[in-house]
Amino acid sequence: MKFSFKSVLLGTVASAFMSVSAFAGDLVINFDDLNPGPKKAFEEAIEDFKKANPDINVTVNNTDREAHKTAIRNFLTNDAPDITSWYPGNRMAPFVDAGLFEDITDLWESDPNLKDKFAAIKPTMTRDGKQWGVPYTFYQWGIYYRKDIFDKLGIAEPQTWDELIAASELLKENGVTPFTIGTKFLWTAAGVFDYINLRTNGYEVHNDLTAGKIKYTDPRIRKTMENWKQLIDMGAFVPNHATMSWQDAIAPFANGDAAMYVMGNFSVDGYKTAGIDLDNVDFFPFPEITPGIPRAEEAPADAFFIPANAKNKEDARKFLAFVAQPDTLAKWNATIGQLPPNSASEINQDDKFIVQGFDTVSNAAGLAQFYDRDAPAAMAKAGMEGFQQFMLDTSKMDEILERLDVVQSEVYK
Amino acid sequence: MTIENTMVSHRNETQMGMVAFAGAALAVCLICLFYLVDIESTASILGIEQLVDARVPNFFIRLVLLIGALVSAFILIINTAFYKRNRIVLAPWIFLSVGLTFFIVYVIIPIFTSISYSFTRWNGLRRADGSSTAEWIGLENYRMLMEDPNFYTSLWNNLLWLVLFMLAIPIGLGIALFLNQTVTGIRIYKSLFFFPFVISQVVVGLIFGWFYEPTFGMVGEIWGFFFCTEETNIVGNVRTVCSVDPPHILGEAKYATYGIIVAGLWPQIAYCMILYLTGLNNVSPDQIEAGRLDGAKGWKMLRHVILPQLWPATFLAVVVTVIGALRSFDMIATMTSGGPFGSTNVLAYYMYDQAIGEGVGRYGYGSAIATVLFAIMLVYISYFLWQMYKDEREGR
Repeated sequence: MKFSFKSVLLGTVASAFMSVSAFAGDLVINFDDLNPGPKKAFEEAIEDFKKANPDINVTVNNTDREAHKTAIRNFLTNDAPDITSWYPGNRMAPFVDAGLFEDITDLWESDPNLKDKFAAIKPTMTRDGKQWGVPYTFYQWGIYYRKDIFDKLGIAEPQTWDELIAASELLKENGVTPFTIGTKFLWTAAGVFDYINLRTNGYEVHNDLTAGKIKYTDPRIRKTMENWKQLIDMGAFVPNHATMSWQDAIAPFANGDAAMYVMGNFSVDGYKTAGIDLDNVDFFPFPEITPGIPRAEEAPADAFFIPANAKNKEDARKFLAFVAQPDTLAKWNATIGQLPPNSASEINQDDKFIVQGFDTVSNAAGLAQFYDRDAPAAMAKAGMEGFQQFMLDTSKMDEILERLDVVQSEVYK
Repeated sequence: MTIENTMVSHRNETQMGMVAFAGAALAVCLICLFYLVDIESTASILGIEQLVDARVPNFFIRLVLLIGALVSAFILIINTAFYKRNRIVLAPWIFLSVGLTFFIVYVIIPIFTSISYSFTRWNGLRRADGSSTAEWIGLENYRMLMEDPNFYTSLWNNLLWLVLFMLAIPIGLGIALFLNQTVTGIRIYKSLFFFPFVISQVVVGLIFGWFYEPTFGMVGEIWGFFFCTEETNIVGNVRTVCSVDPPHILGEAKYATYGIIVAGLWPQIAYCMILYLTGLNNVSPDQIEAGRLDGAKGWKMLRHVILPQLWPATFLAVVVTVIGALRSFDMIATMTSGGPFGSTNVLAYYMYDQAIGEGVGRYGYGSAIATVLFAIMLVYISYFLWQMYKDEREGR
């Protein structure tokens, strides 16, 4: 910041007579994505915000995502910005419980956008009956599949579990592994678990399990695992998944050795990079398992929060209200190829994945964040290790579930 | 005479000036540190808030003040009469003080703080007012450790590492004996054998990760030569079909740890080899000659004449190998991240994983693991120190 000598002099004189907060016009924003697309979208939004609010002096610190995860633990206490990006669901819980995030329920009640157009995502931003952040993007999960292989074998998009099993058997007969997956970093297995659980037992059971209200040895969770076992035992997943990352797992999909991938929409960029013609890839929501259960989806969101130690909470609220506007979110998410959480935002009609994703998510009965965002981190880690072990050896099911019960009883104390 | 006198008095004068200056500087620095530490409030007292952006320079200014205070204190101390009288006793401590300070701040204090964390349940967070969210739970973390199968897996893996890593010593010795000859280009061979030790552990981990890869790695290729055929798949691309599936060394719990240890041995053998090569240079030719006259050769020569002379090298090799085995962290991090399902964890990695890694945030539990690891290391360290102490006393 630069001040002319005159203004410094004036300021000195002024401050001698009255106490004014010197930082009224400064807004510091910490963001956590250096990837080209997200970085560009964020910077454009900041430019638009500056144009709309020329009196606010915005400073931006954009860091790498992993570095941000470590840094936030310190800067929220020691050197808080006015806005920081973070994740909703259980990921925000430790910060909310420690009183490190500002309660912005007032903004959710007064802002016309937040009040009416964020209904689907509002529960995940809520803890203890209050709202703590404003989401700026989210994306759908589901099954991405090789349309060319499906067409060649005459398989239609499966609507039910039986159809999915039948399709998998047909694929196997033709030398194609039904599903690719890479579980080296564990969370991909949680995606499959979540979907089978959401379809077998529904949204409530997912929430109760991740909230520690149901045991892992509960018959309903056993049923989920039995369904999953059916897929694993028939060899529906690529065999060496434990050594592959989710990006590595695109290789068999690209080569046509595997036909389906349970994934989030961010993977589309990976298919493009791997050289798959996107005309040969399509999307369908995870099929129904127990008939009649309302369809809930995984749709993890990213959000902005105001730290409790922020210096300029007034302008921070202005920024959050700006982010919540339909235009801002439409432009932002068009750049990064994801879904705007504001239901009044326009979406990119040329992107078939976005169109289908928007349709899937907006008609869902509930939105789950993801196993490792809904469950506390220590539980999620143990759970996902258990899922990986299960995928490698289904006979260990009872042992794994009992072990998870022990962890659960320790974590939710 | 007069000239000399002037010089002495002149020197005294500059010295007095130095002392006065240092004293003033120390006073200013200390006052600044203690009373004006908070730049923001200082600025508001002086009415120049606009000049100072409190977010950035606070730490930097404190650091400069601290260094200023230390330097001026140092100048003051070496000018006191007390110091001048006891210079020989005090001088080493002044030089040691810098190292000691860092050792205390970064090693000793953290040991005790992490032991104290191990009695709490803590997610590593502080509240907005700076108070810790830790909750005292006594020995609960240790009780949980006793029931945690992952802990026993890590402990067992640590043991495996310690035992199997010792293989580096005989293998290193073997290679050293093999390379200890004079033929053309022996230096090149020696450098080639030493090469893996120069590469970063992380790179070694990555290379072996690819080497073990069952589809496109070396293991996969060799396996494919015997058991696999290529065929065209449904969309017309080439795919490999194997009659027997290739082993997923890093993907299966029963092989993964051994896979990583083999990768770790590669640079460690090179290290032991170089230790023995230098040791072999110092083997006295007279004794070999004498041994030969007495009819010793081959194994007997090695066992009774050469190995005893290599004892210092062996001791060093054991020490660095034990340390290497306990330092196995980076290999595990790059090759498996402790997986599959925690089966390749060692205590050091498990501690990191529970406290810091991937935001699990069980700082109390992680500290308990650290404490156990520290207790184990303490046994080894005390033995090592005792041995050194004994050697030194005998040497005197």
